[in-house]
Amino acid sequence: MPVNPDADIQIIAFDWVPDFARGFVRDLRPRWACEELGIDYAEELISAVKRPLDHYRLQPWGQVPVLRDGDITLFESGAIMLHLAAKDARLLPTGAQARADATAWVFAALNSVEPMMFELGNVDIFSKDEEWAKLRRPGLIDFIRTRFGRLSDALGDNDYLLGDFSIADIAMATVLREGVEAGLIAEYPRLAAYLDRCTGRPAFQRAMAAQLASFKEEPVTA
Amino acid sequence: MPVDPNAQIEITAYQSVPPFAEGRIKDQRVRWALEEIDRPYRERLIGGIFEDKPVEYLADQPFGQVPVYKEGALTLFESGAILLHLGEQDERLLPRGAVRRGRAISWMIAALNSVEPTLQTLVVLSVAGAEQDWREPAMDAARPFAAKRLAQLARALGDRDWIDDSFTIGDLMAIDVLRAAPIAMLAAHPNLAAYVERGTQRPAFGRALAAQLAAYANHSKGD
Repeated sequence: MPVNPDADIQIIAFDWVPDFARGFVRDLRPRWACEELGIDYAEELISAVKRPLDHYRLQPWGQVPVLRDGDITLFESGAIMLHLAAKDARLLPTGAQARADATAWVFAALNSVEPMMFELGNVDIFSKDEEWAKLRRPGLIDFIRTRFGRLSDALGDNDYLLGDFSIADIAMATVLREGVEAGLIAEYPRLAAYLDRCTGRPAFQRAMAAQLASFKEEPVTA
Repeated sequence: MPVDPNAQIEITAYQSVPPFAEGRIKDQRVRWALEEIDRPYRERLIGGIFEDKPVEYLADQPFGQVPVYKEGALTLFESGAILLHLGEQDERLLPRGAVRRGRAISWMIAALNSVEPTLQTLVVLSVAGAEQDWREPAMDAARPFAAKRLAQLARALGDRDWIDDSFTIGDLMAIDVLRAAPIAMLAAHPNLAAYVERGTQRPAFGRALAAQLAAYANHSKGD
């Protein structure tokens, strides 16, 4: 079981988040990678409500995760995913082109797909009762559909983005999950099946269970 | 001058883009990195930004974007992945020690995944919302996300010249991302404005920008 208080690797995560965010906080990504590789990690849980001031020195946005591995401290889940993946060919293949493809897809998830999910979150959640959000939404949805269509074509009949499972799928599946509620993934059967395949992996299930288990019922403010 | 038709490295770029996008397309980042390490590259221009891309191009770049990077048998897409690849080859872009290397990569990804989306939203709304009544309220709602990130970034940078002891792909990406910030929003943080100025005054940045603009100018002359 990778959660181990004595592990060399530490992941900083929140000790409480609101219900809607549970299962979606980004320490899920490194937890999933560790579970895939069977690498133990220790949790260091901090308050999301009253963030320790020195946390901003490690993570300029005050967010999680942060990963410590010996002398190395990393922030941004993308950087942490690449670091963990580099430990093992099961997540980052060793052939030059396969490695390039895996890396490219990690960045594609973070910089070409996820930003649209952020804007969708603004429209559908933070501003959902605003008149402008209703008017902006159709154009945004068209744009997301174009990109999902291309992603579906690129996946083709493969089980995973590179054929075999890799870090690229941890990045892309966690991004696609952010769009499930809007109903868009369901329009692309290949993407829907891909997402089910990724989140059906035992390592994902264990990572999710570990994140959920780390939350207290009520926020700790003191 | 790194643009060389016989170079081993090839990058793709558009032949034409609308005036507001000139100098801002993401091949700029890769050109800049190549200029920093004096690596010659050739250009493959793939038509206008709004033209449909041939199916063969989508095999190299699934979203039809630029740049695609080729080096011998290797093909790579996404500017972040390309910068990481170039950094692995040259410590002037990515220091070798694990601690410094980790910091540079964290910052590069922070720029791409935590800063750029907030600024890109403003650009997208400004363009997609042209002449629409919803544009101003949508931008008003999006602006605080960007302003908050810039304030946090300014605090993290402090009074340092670069994020680390020397310029890295972390700075290159952060500065290229910050170029998209609204002028007043950037000017609210003098240290960030100076950081962008410091980066864009580097000779390699200037050569890269000139090369991107030259590609558009040659096309509009009708060659």
